Amino acid sequence: MEGSKILCNAKLINDNPNTQGRDYVKQKTHAEENLPDRFELFILDEGQQKIEVREETKVPNTTVFTFNKEDHTLGNLISQRLLKYDYITFSAYKVPHPLFATFELRVTTDGSITPKDAVVRCCKDVIQDLSKVSMSFQGEWLNQKIIEEGQRDAEVRDQGNY
Amino acid sequence: MDIDDFGPKEPTCRMLEANDKRAYFIVRDWNLETANSLRRVMLAEVPTLAIDTVEVLDNTSVLADEFIAHRLGLIPLIAEDVDKLIDFRDCDCEDSRCDNCSVTLRLKAKCTGNDVMKVYARDMVIESMPPSDKLGQPVITDAEGNGSCIVKLRKGQAIDMRCIAKKGIAKEHAKWAPSAAIGFEYDPANKLHHLDLWYEGDDPKKEWPVDETRVDLDGGPEKTDEPFNYDAVPERFFFDVETVGGLSPDSIVNNGIKVLQQKLASVIKELTGVDEASAGLDGAQSPTMDGGFGNDGYGNDGGYTTPGYGGANAYAGGTTPYGATPYGGAPGW
Ligand SMILES: [Zn+2]
Repeated sequence: MEGSKILCNAKLINDNPNTQGRDYVKQKTHAEENLPDRFELFILDEGQQKIEVREETKVPNTTVFTFNKEDHTLGNLISQRLLKYDYITFSAYKVPHPLFATFELRVTTDGSITPKDAVVRCCKDVIQDLSKVSMSFQGEWLNQKIIEEGQRDAEVRDQGNY
Repeated sequence: MDIDDFGPKEPTCRMLEANDKRAYFIVRDWNLETANSLRRVMLAEVPTLAIDTVEVLDNTSVLADEFIAHRLGLIPLIAEDVDKLIDFRDCDCEDSRCDNCSVTLRLKAKCTGNDVMKVYARDMVIESMPPSDKLGQPVITDAEGNGSCIVKLRKGQAIDMRCIAKKGIAKEHAKWAPSAAIGFEYDPANKLHHLDLWYEGDDPKKEWPVDETRVDLDGGPEKTDEPFNYDAVPERFFFDVETVGGLSPDSIVNNGIKVLQQKLASVIKELTGVDEASAGLDGAQSPTMDGGFGNDGYGNDGGYTTPGYGGANAYAGGTTPYGATPYGGAPGW
């Protein structure tokens, strides 16, 4: 897989007697032509919406959300988290095809809240949880770093004494 | 450090090791789905800096242009301040190589002596004016201060390349991965029976070594005299984040959390039409945030805050100590 795109500066190359006849911007090979660009995994297509919302008409209080350019990171997180609320009666996600970066989240509630509000509330709660982890992590990181640096300094001092 | 049985549990960290290479820590009272999402985000979606376009001005080495370009792409670069770069796809500049969206490094070397000359990452020089001095320098961790070896040159051979480094994520290419490895584990004693151990003899316990230290940190081994608890779920997670060098281990974790929060915030925005992050700019900055962990020093740059739901959220475990939720600051991802 290519690590970076290559451009040749034709003039400079041709001025150099050691490097003749190279004047190109790298062409795609046959195999690469069929290969989807990797950024299609996370950048929305032209005019594409991040989330498409479809009400399920056959089942009450049910909505299917199609998340575009997202994967299991969000799909598993939201669908599993939703199951912890009393008012959720069904929540699951699926990736319809592994080659397309999209997933469908299907949510049913007991009617006391709309599926959309349930997802919004869930996301807000996860954001809060993450903030708590972040706070705790930063405090712990600083403490431990000071301890380890102190230990290292002590070792250096001990070695100096010998 | 065992269970506190009063009140709703809040996730907390315990650091086991913290240095320039590694952040080894436990998060307890958390849940598998969020812990795993954080792991995935730290692997693939934390932005870093890597060489993405190479202009070959001269190459008379034995290696082909694209071969060297590939090697250059994989060289880790300091990315502590990548937030100050904008995404090159969003930049208005031509060829996407201005100082707002890229860092240009020049690699120029010629062998004149009779010995074989090695060209190292340290030989790359920043040619552009990056928005920060913690951006774009090749990562050098070896004692000699050389960095990675890029090519070897014989007498008379030379290379001259202009390398354009851009912000990106590992979802597009692994060269943008901030972490060399992320260890992730829960329930090392297998008390939840999520693992079905393979064995050849008559007892898997004889064939599988136990990580005693971790088991002790996770509440000791399985108690065989108690009935199995079918409702038990994983709530303590071991993270072992090792950096490639571009970001410090704590930055990987902090940025990972930030990216995941922004992802969720974008879902809220999409579904409600309210941009929570920019609404917070009107001044709902939480006061305790500044007092406690400050507007920063370490990573969480002046997080935007979400007004409204913070204080009175009965779902995520009662009132939070700080009124509102800080989102990550920088735009983009
Ligand atoms: Zn630009």
